[in-house]
Amino acid sequence: MSKSFRLEVITPERLFYSGQAELVIVKTDSGEEGYMADHTWAVKLLQPGQLRIQEEGADRKNMKYAAISEGYIVVEDSIMIFTDAAEWPEEIDLARAERAKMRAESMLQQIRPDDSEHAKLEVALHRAINRIRVKGGGNHLK
Amino acid sequence: MAAGNLRDIKRRIKSIDSTAHITNAMKLVSSAKLRRAKATYEKVDKYLYLIQQSIEDVFKKASDIPDEYTKVKAHVNRTCYIIITGNRGLCGGFNSSVIRRALYEMQKEAHEEDREDPVLVTIGLKGKEFFSKRGYDIESEYLSPPEDISFVGTQAGSKPIVDMYREDKIDKIVLIYNRYVDSFRQEVSVKTLLPFVYAQAESETKTERKYIEYEPSMEEVLNYLIPKYVEVMIYGAMIESATSEHAARRMAMENASESAKDMIAQLNLSFNQARQAAITNEISEVVRGSEALK
Repeated sequence: MSKSFRLEVITPERLFYSGQAELVIVKTDSGEEGYMADHTWAVKLLQPGQLRIQEEGADRKNMKYAAISEGYIVVEDSIMIFTDAAEWPEEIDLARAERAKMRAESMLQQIRPDDSEHAKLEVALHRAINRIRVKGGGNHLK
Repeated sequence: MAAGNLRDIKRRIKSIDSTAHITNAMKLVSSAKLRRAKATYEKVDKYLYLIQQSIEDVFKKASDIPDEYTKVKAHVNRTCYIIITGNRGLCGGFNSSVIRRALYEMQKEAHEEDREDPVLVTIGLKGKEFFSKRGYDIESEYLSPPEDISFVGTQAGSKPIVDMYREDKIDKIVLIYNRYVDSFRQEVSVKTLLPFVYAQAESETKTERKYIEYEPSMEEVLNYLIPKYVEVMIYGAMIESATSEHAARRMAMENASESAKDMIAQLNLSFNQARQAAITNEISEVVRGSEALK
């Protein structure tokens, strides 16, 4: 068991997670990064993606999964993650995510890549795919 | 004559009574909504505070900050006012006090040199109606009912404001809304969002630890945090304003119901007096008639 640290995940609407963790994995601009206790102090921007938490005493196969939107992580002696929105797998409405994915895909085909809407749609598509993936991963783990 | 008077009073009592029923019902609805809004507000307020703290913290612990955001510009040419009102009336001075304060703030700055017309962003129907009727230039508006505000929903509205600031189209962002003190008191609050003012670390000698790693870069992180700060503040103010609105409406309706009760009591008195007068009148007529027959 490795050293644990305090982890809090906060959205404007709620305290999403709070507890002792050994490892947290988030998606930064350069890819997935894991943080453990005693990491150098850092502030990093996060991309919409999966959040994985290895809680104190849990082993690496039993990590908690969640889908989070963009945000930032503040690494000090404790770690705080601030994000616009976050969802546990059981909160994700799979049908809705699938519909959002289809909608984004069909819209993307209709407009030209240089359209100002294009980037927005791509983000929406990623978000939908991310949610579907987290939902699937969560089910798989159970 | 007397009978007509009685009927008039009766009619007034009836109409006031039905108004009182409505205000009473609205009061109950507002209390229920207030309870829900307050729960949301109290919950959200905590997290918003944490986010604000963390943003300020990042600024404090950053080694050097590009002063684009924090520096107060030597001369403010154009201010953006974000004015939060309700969509509906019947809530006492809730909307008018915000609007009055906004006008006051604008006039206060209006006569300064090189001042351009302010940019207005109205949230809520009442403010929009007021300012568009008077020919103000409304940059953008947001009209969703106060019950279902979501953070993601407000983001779309606040982003263009920050963009304008960054492009130097506006030099200052001021937020005017009703602060929620308690169920009986709401206060108009004026907050300057940008330029960003934060409490500087007390002394430079204090060996506070600084962040070492930034990703992608410190500028980018700060560039991300500032709009976030504005978004969070606007979102928080909207939630707070919605809570204030329900509280104000509940109070207004309670007062209206009270006044209705008073008026009915007064009218009942007049009604009884008039009825008594009519009866006395009739009796004296009968007596006089029988006297005449003697």
